[in-house]
Amino acid sequence: MANQLKKLQKKKNESTSEEKLSYRKQRFRQEWTEKKEFRGWLSTVEDDPHRAFCIACKSKLVAGSSELLKHSKRESHKRALILLNKQPIVSNCQRGVSSQKNLSDQKAKCHITVGKTGMRSREGPQPMNVFESEPDQHGCHSSLLDDNHQNEEEETFQPHQSADIKNERSLLPMKKMKVEKDMPIIITAKPGLFIEDDYPEDSHNMQVQGLNITISEVQSVSSELILSVDEPTVKGPSYDEEEIDTKCLSGDKKRYAQKFRQYWYKIPEFQGWLAEGDSPYKAHCTVCNRDIRASISQLQRHCKGARHINFMAKHQPWTSIIISEDITTEAGLPPTVTFVDLRSDTVTRPSRAMKNAMLEAAVGDDAFSEDPTVNALEKKVANMLGKEAALFVPSGTMANLVCVLAHCWGRGSEVIVGDKSYMYQKMQGGIAQVGGVHHRIVKNLPDGTFSLDELKTFFQDGDTFFPTTTLVCIENTHNRMGGKALPLSWLDELGAVCEELNLLLHVDGARLINASVALGVPPSRLVARCHSVTLCLNKGLGAPMGSLVVGTQEFITRAGKMGKMLGGVLHQCGMVAAAGIYALDHVVSQLSADHNHARAIAHSVLEEHSSSVTVDMNAFQTNIGFLHCDNIRVDAKKLCQRLRVVTDSEEEEIGEKIIVMMLPITDTVVRFMTHHEIKMNHVRAVAEKLKYVIQEFDNIMFDQYKV
Amino acid sequence: MSSQVNGYEGCRVVDMRSDTFTLPSQGMKEAMMAAPLGDDVFQEDPTVIELQNKMATLLEKEAALFVPTGTMGNLICVLNHCRSRGSEVILGNLSHVHIYEQGGISQLGGVHPRTLQNLPDGTFSLEELRKAVRKDDVHMPITELVCIENTHNVAGGRVLPLEWLDQLGSTCRELGLPLHMDGARLMNAAAAMQVPPARIVRDCASVSVCLSKGLGAPVGSVIVGSQEFITKARRLRKVLGGGMRQAGIIAAAGIYALDHVAPTLQRDHAHIKAIAQAVSDLGSKAIFVNLEGVHTNILMLECDLNVLSPTQLCERMGQITDEETERHR
Repeated sequence: MANQLKKLQKKKNESTSEEKLSYRKQRFRQEWTEKKEFRGWLSTVEDDPHRAFCIACKSKLVAGSSELLKHSKRESHKRALILLNKQPIVSNCQRGVSSQKNLSDQKAKCHITVGKTGMRSREGPQPMNVFESEPDQHGCHSSLLDDNHQNEEEETFQPHQSADIKNERSLLPMKKMKVEKDMPIIITAKPGLFIEDDYPEDSHNMQVQGLNITISEVQSVSSELILSVDEPTVKGPSYDEEEIDTKCLSGDKKRYAQKFRQYWYKIPEFQGWLAEGDSPYKAHCTVCNRDIRASISQLQRHCKGARHINFMAKHQPWTSIIISEDITTEAGLPPTVTFVDLRSDTVTRPSRAMKNAMLEAAVGDDAFSEDPTVNALEKKVANMLGKEAALFVPSGTMANLVCVLAHCWGRGSEVIVGDKSYMYQKMQGGIAQVGGVHHRIVKNLPDGTFSLDELKTFFQDGDTFFPTTTLVCIENTHNRMGGKALPLSWLDELGAVCEELNLLLHVDGARLINASVALGVPPSRLVARCHSVTLCLNKGLGAPMGSLVVGTQEFITRAGKMGKMLGGVLHQCGMVAAAGIYALDHVVSQLSADHNHARAIAHSVLEEHSSSVTVDMNAFQTNIGFLHCDNIRVDAKKLCQRLRVVTDSEEEEIGEKIIVMMLPITDTVVRFMTHHEIKMNHVRAVAEKLKYVIQEFDNIMFDQYKV
Repeated sequence: MSSQVNGYEGCRVVDMRSDTFTLPSQGMKEAMMAAPLGDDVFQEDPTVIELQNKMATLLEKEAALFVPTGTMGNLICVLNHCRSRGSEVILGNLSHVHIYEQGGISQLGGVHPRTLQNLPDGTFSLEELRKAVRKDDVHMPITELVCIENTHNVAGGRVLPLEWLDQLGSTCRELGLPLHMDGARLMNAAAAMQVPPARIVRDCASVSVCLSKGLGAPVGSVIVGSQEFITKARRLRKVLGGGMRQAGIIAAAGIYALDHVAPTLQRDHAHIKAIAQAVSDLGSKAIFVNLEGVHTNILMLECDLNVLSPTQLCERMGQITDEETERHR
């Protein structure tokens, strides 16, 4: 496996360099479709002018006449072309139906003319779009104009075009049906899900290719078949594209569609862009913003594609926005507004799968340690971090508080914390306020660490003047320093120093897993020399609530006592714990995507080369990012306020309403955090909005100068 | 409640250790899953807001705050009333706040508890209360708060009489002291007295109500009080680590419990009365009950220590003998 992966990596590298050298952008030319060699199978790709589409092979090709010529000479292509010309016409409609879910028209009609060769689409409305070919001047799809088969007396429905047949197996030959030359028929097609190749001629019913076709009316319109495609009555999941796809795959022999596999995330080739699609049968490329069929070969093909490589290289990894309705509607906004909340990674709502896990969780009373799910979560996290035991508490603040109280058991204790740490700045001084423990601060360096020499100077000879230093607290990743993962070497040194000075070491690991993903080491390695750890489930991991305190058995017993006193022992919290278990099993693999998204947003700001809003690309390690305002043209508050507003001119230019929420943390610094609800389309929206807003601020200054 | 518990396969297990053992019903779980969510630390969780509004309306107070546990609810309320150094709180010597909360109010808040002798019905003497209030003296702490518990757990789930509550209310007003009610089982008291809960807490400045006790929600308590009180309480909740993010998922269970479980509490009371009656009918001298003291869902069986201890009784109740199985067949 490892060797294979290396090979794949190597291949990828090679292909990247090649592509960079020889990338010339030939656009698709309409003249090609008229050429003899290409007639009948060549079509455009709707969203990519640099590609061509072979209808026979259902594959995308590089738009270049030599490439296409090469393709036309391939044996596989020739075979596919023959098959294509034998397909039943009705299959044309199949994709039309499935795509019609998006259309507002309940009933769409496409006129199909019985010509010399069977059928021809004329003025086909929306359903035809799915063929990914553009109508020519006659309003017909170029691929449908082919007249290869010169059967004057048409007795068989001869198909000309099929865009979305997954498998030749499903192209069962249609029963012959007599159609008089001047016999107009209205065919009403309804989606069914099975194929019937024998049907009584007189019943005027046929079910082919997922369509139930009823010959309902005979009119004397000159040799036209009017094929009307009914909108499926059942909307949504019961009639999914995926469902059809899988059903279509099963012909005579049952074949199952490949589902998305979690281990694909680990393949280096796929890292940085792979994500799960909307259905289990789809994968998603976050860079190209495209759904790909979930199969390893398809994914490999995708990542070798010039388009993908180009996007990866250009670092501008988006093409179009798909507004995620679930986010916008839940926020109570009309679905035409793209609403992206980047204030914190705590704003994530549990996914449906997570909720299902919660629903199925076994529950007991945790106050009596009888909740099996909580116990399982505690055991899981303790194992993951290589410690003896763990304790579930409702929040990260409480977890940190409990740890300090449990370590500083005696009166007159002191903890050493960084001056920019969450524990010092954002816990209301709770350690002192409720715990009576004294803070001593040490200056945080930009990478989230602090000077160990400075730490050592704190310890003079025991004196009645000093409180007893008991504990050192560090934060990993360091929130206020921009989500920095603390360097391993420093952690080891700190561990040694603490041992030497006989101090306990606590890690506020609210985003410890993010650090572990960023550094590529297991989380247990990061906390190897620590006596206690806080791990939050509701931050990057996306559970609704809950944190864990991890340490030795004896420590956890004490921490449990403190937790009880603070009111942190919940009775039946198994359901919440189940969300935590789900998060550890499923969300962790998405964290690297979050990190990429943060970098992508930063990159869009960098590209503006603005002086009013700047960004330090080197500072991006995990899912936290800072934007620096110059405080002259714009300050942090103003930037955040502006990002939450949509102006008319902005909507006109961008083409949609985008609302972005970020958090000002100082006068000049704006913080944003990516999380698992943020997909590539949101990143793209944020980038557009930021670019527009930054330009606006830059221009304001410019206008003022002019005045 | 009967369920299959590990180690007791094939047995019918009735767990009556506490009303906190209730597991969420299917309907409650579905309500939890359907709840709209947000980040409650940013005060953006619609379900939590709905629960808070519902509880505030129910108890006819200005505002409410969702907290993870009853212990934290009481702690926040006491710390909130006793904001200055050298504060003292007057409470019953058998109250939950005094006995079962690790002395958290003094451990964390530095608040001095002054206890009054709890009478068997969960009240205390108002005369003693008047005497207990400190004068302005440098030797003494400053009395800031009076705490009562309704229903009174240690007193056997007794409901505090309304007349006494009214008298206490007027006394406190006279003394200028706010009154806090630990209403962990307030809904049981309301059900037992057949009065709206708002009537019971009329004179209280703050109340904490548990959703995870008799109401059967998995997690959560709500504290109610004036708007200003709740604003300050929100800060205290955060410092104690009670700020939960998507807390709507458990608040939804609370809403469900108030809608669906609260109206059925009288049935629980009838059940406990039936058990009490059965024990009483035995006329045993080793184990006896005070039928008059059975008000709500708590039953105290008193053991004659010469015959058996409470531990022995609980152990025996947790066992099955062959003879016993024969007899029940």
